[in-house]
Amino acid sequence: MLAPISWLKEYVDIDCSVDQLVKKLVGIGFEVEEVIYQDKKVNNVVVGKIVKVEQHPNADRLRVTQIDIGTKTIQVITNVPVVGGEVVAVSLDGAVLANGQVIKSGELRGVLSEGMLCGLEEVGLSEGEVDNQKKGDILRFPEGTTLGMNALQALGQDDVILDVAITANRPDCNSIYKLAREVAVCLNKECKNPHINYEVSKDAGDVSSLVSVEVKAPDLCPRYMAAGVKNVKIFESDPVIKHRLRAVGIRPINNIVDITNYVLTEIGQPMHSFDERELGGKKIVVRKANQGEHIISLDGKDNVLTENMLVICDANKPVAVAGIMGGEESGIKDDTSSVVFESAKFARDSVRRTSRALNLRSDSSARFEKGIDFASQELGLKRALTMIYESKSGDITSGIIDVKVDYKTVKDISFTTKDIKNILGCNVPKNTLLNILSKLGIETSENGNVITAHIKEDREDIYGVNDIAEEFIRVYGYKHVKPTLFAYAPLTKGGKLPKIENVDHVKDILVSMGLSEAISYSFTSPKYVEKLGLDPDTKLIKIINPLGEDLSVMRTVLAHNMLEMLAFNISHFNKKAKLFEIAKVYLPNELPMKDLPKEEEKLVIGMYGEGDFYDLKGYLDGLCYALGVEPTYAKKQVSYLHIGRSASISVCGKEIGVLGEVHPDVADKYGVDEQRLYIAEISLEELFKCTESTIKFKAFSKFPPIDRDLAVVVDKKVVAGDMIAAIKSGKIANLATANIFDVYEGDKIGKDKKSIALSFTFTSNERTLKDEEIQEAMDKILSLLSRKFKAKIRG
Amino acid sequence: MKEKLEAMKNEALEAISKANDSSSLNDIRVRYLGKSGEMTLLMRGLGNVSKEERPILGKMFNDVRGEIESALESKTSIIVEQEKQARLLAEDIDVTLPSTFEGFGTLHPLSKTKKEIVDTFLEMGFTVDEGPEIETDMFNFQLLNVPKDHPAREMQDTFYVGDEMVLRTQTSSMQARIMTTQKPPIRVIIPGKVYRSDDDVSHSPIFHQIEGLAVDKHITMGDLQGCLEAFAEKVFSKDTKVRLRPSYFPFTEPSVEVDVTCSVCHGKGCSVCKHTGWVEILGAGVVNPVVLDMCGIDSKEYSGFAFGLGVERIAMIKYGIPNIKLLYENDVRFLKQFDK
Repeated sequence: MLAPISWLKEYVDIDCSVDQLVKKLVGIGFEVEEVIYQDKKVNNVVVGKIVKVEQHPNADRLRVTQIDIGTKTIQVITNVPVVGGEVVAVSLDGAVLANGQVIKSGELRGVLSEGMLCGLEEVGLSEGEVDNQKKGDILRFPEGTTLGMNALQALGQDDVILDVAITANRPDCNSIYKLAREVAVCLNKECKNPHINYEVSKDAGDVSSLVSVEVKAPDLCPRYMAAGVKNVKIFESDPVIKHRLRAVGIRPINNIVDITNYVLTEIGQPMHSFDERELGGKKIVVRKANQGEHIISLDGKDNVLTENMLVICDANKPVAVAGIMGGEESGIKDDTSSVVFESAKFARDSVRRTSRALNLRSDSSARFEKGIDFASQELGLKRALTMIYESKSGDITSGIIDVKVDYKTVKDISFTTKDIKNILGCNVPKNTLLNILSKLGIETSENGNVITAHIKEDREDIYGVNDIAEEFIRVYGYKHVKPTLFAYAPLTKGGKLPKIENVDHVKDILVSMGLSEAISYSFTSPKYVEKLGLDPDTKLIKIINPLGEDLSVMRTVLAHNMLEMLAFNISHFNKKAKLFEIAKVYLPNELPMKDLPKEEEKLVIGMYGEGDFYDLKGYLDGLCYALGVEPTYAKKQVSYLHIGRSASISVCGKEIGVLGEVHPDVADKYGVDEQRLYIAEISLEELFKCTESTIKFKAFSKFPPIDRDLAVVVDKKVVAGDMIAAIKSGKIANLATANIFDVYEGDKIGKDKKSIALSFTFTSNERTLKDEEIQEAMDKILSLLSRKFKAKIRG
Repeated sequence: MKEKLEAMKNEALEAISKANDSSSLNDIRVRYLGKSGEMTLLMRGLGNVSKEERPILGKMFNDVRGEIESALESKTSIIVEQEKQARLLAEDIDVTLPSTFEGFGTLHPLSKTKKEIVDTFLEMGFTVDEGPEIETDMFNFQLLNVPKDHPAREMQDTFYVGDEMVLRTQTSSMQARIMTTQKPPIRVIIPGKVYRSDDDVSHSPIFHQIEGLAVDKHITMGDLQGCLEAFAEKVFSKDTKVRLRPSYFPFTEPSVEVDVTCSVCHGKGCSVCKHTGWVEILGAGVVNPVVLDMCGIDSKEYSGFAFGLGVERIAMIKYGIPNIKLLYENDVRFLKQFDK
């Protein structure tokens, strides 16, 4: 909401500085987003009078002028054909113009020039923003304008405009009048009522001689008021009106249109003016449009209407899209002689939907979308008639048409000061409370301790005692609320959900192993399915209104974002990266979705530049170890992983994810061709199901352990993990651990063969083991290996 | 014989005193005290000695053996010590060479910030909960007093994924989920991702919020202020002040914007706080009784407060991060700065 201070002053005496006013407004809940000083668009551009013009000695097209700027006379070279006596705008040494150009004194063809003559563009204005100045020419002022004055001020650009953010609960404050009332409250001043003063013309007859109104859709138009003006004269508005409209960004057109825009800004009531000649059958019918009906709006656009849109029609056809824009035909023209003013309340959602559907917007529709109360139709209409009357724009007919639904004018809210105190936690002096409510225009009555506030229709946002508490405290000041820590409420026991606790634990483990946490967007391009070679029928949740194709589907895997992050780091000169991300993937049960999708928490690890498959596996091992889970790995083909270096990881007999080196073709799709990338993605939900968190002491042997090594030659295809698994399940007596400590391939072993070196530790809790027992166990292991894996002892 | 024994003893002691490493000491032991050493050879002569002299000589033999053994022992301990010293000196290293420690990884600055905030509220008796990011219109809007076509919907640009389904625009959706399923006393915070179709230097279409909700008998605006002061002191600095400013949210009444004194200039005014000394960090308020009633909690009996803060904003203020995009690029040079 743009509010020129000069306009606010019509209603309230503002005697403090702009800074103070801004602070006070913020204090009562009206954030001022910007303060616009009209005369500060440029500096050092002043009014000067040309006292002498001479031909430039060295240039035919240039003139040397002497300009009186009040305090002194300066010399300016110009190519503009000026004559002595003209009053112009001149930029001085050091001036910064609207386009950023800096003016410096200097010689022009050997003659000193101390400034430059300026036009509209140089001072940041365009044609129409001020009167009597033309685009492309220099600014000229009437004789007698104060010399040396800021040129913008001389153009009437001397207002200070506040850009105030109006919260959605206070649509009424999207008006100068209501905002002025808030200003009055925060400055502790009186606020005037809108100026209403008009007389109907005896000769103009009744409004019914111009129009009758029928509302067929009262749900979308709960109130429609109309008034008439005959013998209308169309002319330019008064300079003050034009200045104010321009200050809030509205272009003045003519007295009638300007009045509707003025009332919209001042009272907050959108109005419309119809040329009475175009209202066929002297009728206004407010109804829903017929499917496919057309109307050409004021901006020349042909709109095709649908049956849920509200239109204003004459006896035959639509003449306006309700609350949004009038039709081209029924608009005010230079020869319009009778005008019908509309001042109505249209349902905000109807205006919003229609405006969106037709892609048709106006100051009026913007205002209706915020919500209009029942009080402003009459006020707006009377204010408009006052302006007609005072500007002698025409003869006002008697009578005002008012078609409205029944509505409650006043609602009562009863409370005590203790109720308010219970909400705010601060003392509530009764007289202060009553005084504040009164200043806000809220009448109260008292019955013992009980106060009743009578809320008028212009404050639809107030419906309970909490709203009263807010009205009180925003004016009284939050500084009166003293901090307490649950002063009256009992203590509670805090804590995290086990799942959140687990995720935090996983993060700590990964960080301690040297991995860094990354966070990426949960939506991405649908192309990732193809890039990673996933099932092309993967069910993706699509965003209906995405920011772009690249951010249009909810991810079903984390690997894609991780690969993008690795690629980003590679292309940004980072030699290595070890990253992880814990986030959700979004898995719809069906498409289109009928219920909320499954959101599954996953972990992705990605790395390059240092380490290999086994380091990646080591991180998963470390994680499982810390969680008390024993993982198993098996070879597994994964569409985006290296065919020889990819695996599944399982815990508690259930596969929870995959890991491996990224397939070079896939890496290439992410723009990585030199580096080897490693990636693992697992389900945390499944991992946590298997987590064993209880620690229980187990007795350990007091007797010395006995270690044995064994090297066997097997076929190259034999998987070491299977050998260990077979040994572990082979019921070998007293075997405590079995590990692989070396794998060797080479000529000595033979083609397609490899040597695997294993180490074993035997212990007993009861006694020192004998050599013969160990030998027996080792024989058993060897025979098991040779039976299952055709292993031969390495000679 | 006595003389021979005496001579051997002196010879042995002499050799011991001259020895300067453990192997020559060992040689001496073998030569004099070994199975076929000189002592053994001399003892063979004992058979020829008279009955009277035999015990005397026997004792002398024992004494000499003892004397040599103790000399060997004391010399050995000296040499072992010398050799140990020599080895230690030889094992001198350059302690300024780097260790094998390569640093820990790091939590993302958003997680780090979130953790600090969450911990603060845990200490105040709040539980930590979470909920779905894809949410129904009912929980994201309607139960929070934002019916369809309410202008407050314009405050947030919503991503839709279905007729009645949105990417939640606020963690406040969890207020409704919790209040419809739990009975007071409720004291909970809910961290999580939220989504709005905004994308510029200070807005990301995905960001993180932490929602706070307390519902109980006798909860006031003063309690909200107290909790937020405790939080601000912990997350920013001990001297941080909190200021409430009137504002509007459909699900709280009264509603406030909460400012804290600028952590860069401590309220003196700087470019970060646009020379006001204050930085806006969150929105909050007293839970609107309409919302309590809609969620099945009797507003005549219970009251509450709620707040929602943006983790990005707090992290950016706290660490002086100039552009929100940095948080989502995951450049390791950026992340590494937060590993302390």
